[in-house]
Amino acid sequence: MESLDPRVQRLNIKQDGKDFPEKPELDQWITYEVFVQLVEDKPFRHEGIVHACDLDMAFILAKEQFTRRYTCSGIAVVATHEIWVSPLTEDQESVLDMDPSDWPDAGKEGNYEVCLLYRRGKQHEHAGQIQANSSKDAFRMTAEAYPGDAKPIYNVWVIPTDKFRFSTPEEKEIWDTLPEKRFREAADYKAGDKLTNFKNAIK
Amino acid sequence: MYGGGSIFETPKTDTLKNEDPVKIAAFEARIARGEKIEPNDWMPELYRKQLIRMIEQHAHSEIIGALPEGTWITRAPGFKRKLALMAKVQDEVGHAQLLYSAAETLGKPREAMIEDLINGKSKYSNVFNYPAFTWADSCFISWLVDAGAIVNQLANAKGSYGPYCRALDRICAEESFHLKYGHHCVIHMATGTPIQRKMMQEAINRWWEPMMHFFGPPDKISVHTEILMNWKVKMASNDECRNQFLDMYVPKILELGLTIPDPELRKDPDTGQWVYTEPDWEVFKKVINGDGPCNAERLAVRRTAEERGRWVRQALTRPDSIYVMPLA
Repeated sequence: MESLDPRVQRLNIKQDGKDFPEKPELDQWITYEVFVQLVEDKPFRHEGIVHACDLDMAFILAKEQFTRRYTCSGIAVVATHEIWVSPLTEDQESVLDMDPSDWPDAGKEGNYEVCLLYRRGKQHEHAGQIQANSSKDAFRMTAEAYPGDAKPIYNVWVIPTDKFRFSTPEEKEIWDTLPEKRFREAADYKAGDKLTNFKNAIK
Repeated sequence: MYGGGSIFETPKTDTLKNEDPVKIAAFEARIARGEKIEPNDWMPELYRKQLIRMIEQHAHSEIIGALPEGTWITRAPGFKRKLALMAKVQDEVGHAQLLYSAAETLGKPREAMIEDLINGKSKYSNVFNYPAFTWADSCFISWLVDAGAIVNQLANAKGSYGPYCRALDRICAEESFHLKYGHHCVIHMATGTPIQRKMMQEAINRWWEPMMHFFGPPDKISVHTEILMNWKVKMASNDECRNQFLDMYVPKILELGLTIPDPELRKDPDTGQWVYTEPDWEVFKKVINGDGPCNAERLAVRRTAEERGRWVRQALTRPDSIYVMPLA
């Protein structure tokens, strides 16, 4: 059967089924974790990852992948390997009650962003910035500052602030036109009247 | 969109006997409590393998599924349809990225998944190995193939693996646009000129059997998946999904004065189940095994995209990059 795909003709694509060679390491680059702030003053929430060659490309791909609809006030991206990750707890056990002495440490004196997991199965939320001597130190300071009677925290991510790429105030205009892009929304495709008229006509 | 009703290979349960029964019990108790399993939680090897296979097949189906509709972007009837179709195809490719990421949290790198797709080692939904001859075929896909996918995906979104469920929640939210857009297109065709109506009817006639195949073989002949159901990897049987689809969409097709090419199709009032002519399952197997009308072309297009983009990816690669598995 002759192909109906214009690219097949234009690029003269052969359908010979030849073996595809093994991809080299890093062919798909590395992963970056993406956080989105839907509206001003709400916390940034982890949404997923993108593969990118560097932080700037990760920022652009994150915008395309995670902020095509509704509202957006900002995004933030960071390479996955820059994130210090605590153990994951369950039931009523809060990770902030655990002793981190034997855990690996990373980083140096500086500012750190702290993200907390409030419920298993949900996504991490950005809780704030802290000045600390290392990632583990930032974890300890978070545990000390967190109210003892609050709900358990199941997992903590600590990220050096200088490794995070937050959108700037000037970049917010990227999302100004989102509400105009109605063609991406189900509500823009109403055909009830057309259907009713048709059904009445064939009665 | 996705035809995820069937996991195409029989799961091999022999690795289970090597697992620690205490860990298995804790794992199953967590699922029974309704908690999600996260990437760093302990999980049986069989659970990990089945999930990788299922999520990977789903991701491949999204990226290959973008091809039959993508070919209609340049020929869409009017600017508004073109804009919508471009947005839909962009969504499908975005869904593939979300799903590849979810599979990657289980330990399979994206490089390996793409290799397995192009070398034919991994499967994807059969329905995308059929050609979209006319604009009406594109309308059928947008409405009814996506409708079938939503039935599967809403079920799987209640599954046990956290990253997959979160990806599906996001995907289902976007699918509501696809469904309404597709229905809008079909209503316009069915209520349009006699030629448009004829085109729509012919598309339904062409796609009905692939649509019935979409949910996978009937439960009575499909592989035993009790353990996958208990572990909330598979959330509904193939027949349950097919029945739900027929329940929701047969009346909507018929109200447009269109017909369905199956004289046996009816709902049994006593059982509440749909009765239909079994589609030819030999054809299904043939297409799964690579012998459908478009299998070779679909993979050739993907292979060409990979080959033509290679120099760009290599030029931008930083050799000192540190890869670690995504977190959640």
